[in-house]
Amino acid sequence: MNLTTKTRIKRFSPLQRIFHVLLMLSFLTLGATGLSRMYIETPWGRWLGGLFGGYEAARTVHIYVGIFMLCGLLVHVFYLLFKINWQKFPRSLTGPDSLLPRPDDIKQFFQHIAWFMGFGKPPAFDRWGYWEKFDYWAVFWGLIIIGTTGLLMAFPLTSSRIMPGWGLNVAFWIHRIEALLAMAHVFIIHFFIAHLRRHNFPMDRAIFEGSASLDAVRHEKPAWIERLEKNGELDAVLVTEAVPGQQIVFYVFGYAAVAAGLFLLIGALINTPYISW
Amino acid sequence: MKQMINIRTLLVASGVLLTGLLFLPAIASAQGEEVSSAIRRYKDREASTGYYEEYEMLPRRQRPFVEIPGVRRGIFPYSPTAARVRVRMRLADSHQGIKFYERRRCEDCHIEQTRDIHTVRANITCRQCHGGEPIASNAHYFSPLNPIRRHAYVCAKCHEGASASYASYVVHAPNPLMAGTMKSFPVLFYAFWIMVAIAVGTFAVFLPHTILWGIRELFIKKEKAESEPDNEN
Repeated sequence: MNLTTKTRIKRFSPLQRIFHVLLMLSFLTLGATGLSRMYIETPWGRWLGGLFGGYEAARTVHIYVGIFMLCGLLVHVFYLLFKINWQKFPRSLTGPDSLLPRPDDIKQFFQHIAWFMGFGKPPAFDRWGYWEKFDYWAVFWGLIIIGTTGLLMAFPLTSSRIMPGWGLNVAFWIHRIEALLAMAHVFIIHFFIAHLRRHNFPMDRAIFEGSASLDAVRHEKPAWIERLEKNGELDAVLVTEAVPGQQIVFYVFGYAAVAAGLFLLIGALINTPYISW
Repeated sequence: MKQMINIRTLLVASGVLLTGLLFLPAIASAQGEEVSSAIRRYKDREASTGYYEEYEMLPRRQRPFVEIPGVRRGIFPYSPTAARVRVRMRLADSHQGIKFYERRRCEDCHIEQTRDIHTVRANITCRQCHGGEPIASNAHYFSPLNPIRRHAYVCAKCHEGASASYASYVVHAPNPLMAGTMKSFPVLFYAFWIMVAIAVGTFAVFLPHTILWGIRELFIKKEKAESEPDNEN
């Protein structure tokens, strides 16, 4: 471990890391309270609900945390409006530092798949891989779908004034499927990519530490490093590694989240046959 | 003589007192409890129905002081409109002619209607909404579940402030998985399947993708060693 030489490349700002931590905490709380209500017929669901004070209290927690998460989305949108480089407006959003999808992403996706099968070379990713862009935008559209239906159900007397009450039946199912999709995606795909695949094993600390190992990034995202080197910007974004104490915190926090997620995933899967759908 | 008057006064006074006892409030009794007519109790969702079945415990001498001319049956409801709705004599019996009806339970026939959130999660019993015998069709004019009044007479018992639109929430919602839902509740059916398509589509792409990726990365080292031979020992 070398704490003096700059072996890592800056990837996320402190604010972006805080956004992710808040998203993690609210997502897990919403997942636990939501599943506790969905599985209230099973002992597992009742135990889970008991952590939040029971069936009714779990709903209250769910609503407050859900509104908190929606506020987070709103703050993030304002953050984006401030962050966008308006002087170079349309071009600043189509560049490789932007999270907006580009035609290249589709090409790289297929090239990546081909490489999985043993054909050709892996694509030279730039700053954001297509899977990272997908995860980012999935939170966006997911939150809009789940937030809207959630608000409709949280305030049914008000919402039934602007739409027929049977819309709540529809909102309930949209909310449920979107929630299950989001949880399954995070607890299976996102966790696998960030923790289990060999490139990141045992954990990709970038979202907590703010930086990623330069060697690893050079290997997976060569186009980014090449671009930075060409423009002479690389040295400005190199940083040192976090002290071991901090790293322990990152690992403990990251693995606690993984454990909570897997607990919810496995509990939900095991108890699926025992609830009324 | 004086003594006689005193005895008479005593008698009158005690008579007045004894009569006065009748006007005192009833002695509190645990029997004046409203009980649901179903197997499960109201639990925490209890809301007064305002009337009592014949075979349930009545509160002693505590009848709501409401009189409707011409209506003399049982406990009077609290408003003239309610009186018309709650006089059971006027309800049609949807279950007329069913054999051994008294011995049957609702879910013996209406099993599909016991699988919704109200029943399964909130433990609401059939009778808490559908009322006691005779149970008329929801479309029957005097049924408390008739859409013209169900929001006020049934939903609002728990959901304070329920409106007619609110009451159009389908309590016994059809299972969106079933083909019949396409006709009975098309919006639910299509919303459900569109969401399922999105979810399944996401997984159909990302699950194999991620598994293959994980496997492929196990074989990276050899390539790395070839391309960067002098990288770390």
